[in-house]
Amino acid sequence: MERVTAADLRRVAWRTFLLQATWNYERQQGLGWAWCFKPVLDRLYPDAAVKGQRLAEHTAYFNTQPTMASLALGAVAGIEEECASGAGPDVGAVQRIKAVLGSALAALGDRLFWSTLRPFAACLGVLIALGGSWRGAVALLVCYNLFHLVIRWRGVAWGYRRGPAGLGEGLRERLDTLVARLCVLGAALVGVLVAALLAPGGEPRGLAFQALLAAGLLLGMVAALRARPSPTQWALGLGALCVVAAWLR
Amino acid sequence: MTLAPLATALLGGVVALDATPVGQTMISQPLVVATVLGALWGDWRTALEVGIVLQILAACTLPVGARTPEDYATGSVIGIGVALALAQRRSFLVTHEASELLGVGVGLVAAIGSVPLLRWQRRLNEGLSRWCESEIREGREEALGAAHRAAVGLAFGVGVAYTAAFLMAGSWSLAVPCERESLRLAKAWWLAQPLWLGLGLAQVLNAFVQRRPLRGAAFGAALIGAWLVLMVGAS
Repeated sequence: MERVTAADLRRVAWRTFLLQATWNYERQQGLGWAWCFKPVLDRLYPDAAVKGQRLAEHTAYFNTQPTMASLALGAVAGIEEECASGAGPDVGAVQRIKAVLGSALAALGDRLFWSTLRPFAACLGVLIALGGSWRGAVALLVCYNLFHLVIRWRGVAWGYRRGPAGLGEGLRERLDTLVARLCVLGAALVGVLVAALLAPGGEPRGLAFQALLAAGLLLGMVAALRARPSPTQWALGLGALCVVAAWLR
Repeated sequence: MTLAPLATALLGGVVALDATPVGQTMISQPLVVATVLGALWGDWRTALEVGIVLQILAACTLPVGARTPEDYATGSVIGIGVALALAQRRSFLVTHEASELLGVGVGLVAAIGSVPLLRWQRRLNEGLSRWCESEIREGREEALGAAHRAAVGLAFGVGVAYTAAFLMAGSWSLAVPCERESLRLAKAWWLAQPLWLGLGLAQVLNAFVQRRPLRGAAFGAALIGAWLVLMVGAS
């Protein structure tokens, strides 16, 4: 019986960079999943016809947060190995496990990467860039990719070792703690950023700037309570109003 | 300098890839784009002023689930590119500030305008997926690689073309207003910049705080503490 090797898992990890290349509304990351998973199927199914059949089945609907997909790919590689040896679950069960893992990891990943880490890295970068430094962009990239690239690279092997059970409650608790700490740090970072905007280098900005920044914050708080209009539409409307105001004065 | 617009259009393709199809390493974030374009056009100040506003506004635009969010990746390349193209014509401060206002405005319009294009690409990918599955079932596994190459090529091409078209149209159509009305536009920038920053920061703060008193207190304490440190440090 063939077993998945560390080299196969590394190849899967490389391929996760293209997980979303063919993202679409029908299967979402389905085709990308098949692309990432191909090295595992190449190893487990020497028979080309069987491998083609399994590969085609893996193009079905799948979606999760793209970084966390590495964990799911590793875990499903382990199950596929059992399935290929005839000892594990059947093909339908593999599909169901994929779907459950996808939803669970999406909930964790969306909170960690999109709602917390990305705004946190952005605020850190902006704070450093306020003085006109290129280091802000570097700080943003390092801060985000420290988590992102580590999970992308190591997540496949980790998911393979732990299996689907290892990606359950324990992982959720650890990531929830991380998110909660990042949120406290992030709120403090926004406070520092607002102070740096109000008094860059200890020189307080004019009263008009301070009042307008406060008005923007207040408006943003109100806008955050509603899904529509989006912040971008609000920003566009505000910009148009400012142009009109400048013309009328 | 003549190579800068061409390189900007190519950067539009690169960030279009990073935003969703390839990697998501955040090189498509407005602050990173501003740093690259600032070095490319030799004008850090204008690039970072526009980039910071767009970055704060982009920070809470989330690609969650099947939602197609505003495309701040190409939007920021276009907005910062237009601002830099307009600013390089004159060295007056007001012209630069007018360019920054127009840059952020064009960037926001481009970010919203790109959404239908992204949806179109995603619909094309549906056909690609079905074709690929049928090819694999017939034993042609190489279709998987071909489908990925096609999707990546399409995303890069659309990113470059969209950026080039918007960059040309924006810098050509806004050159005269930017020059003639620079004083009024600069005034509008003085009004809009703090409002935009406040609006974006409130969204970010809301994402962090989520009605938890401890997190709200962390914000307040950090604001007061940083203010005091800045003021005492300066005196």
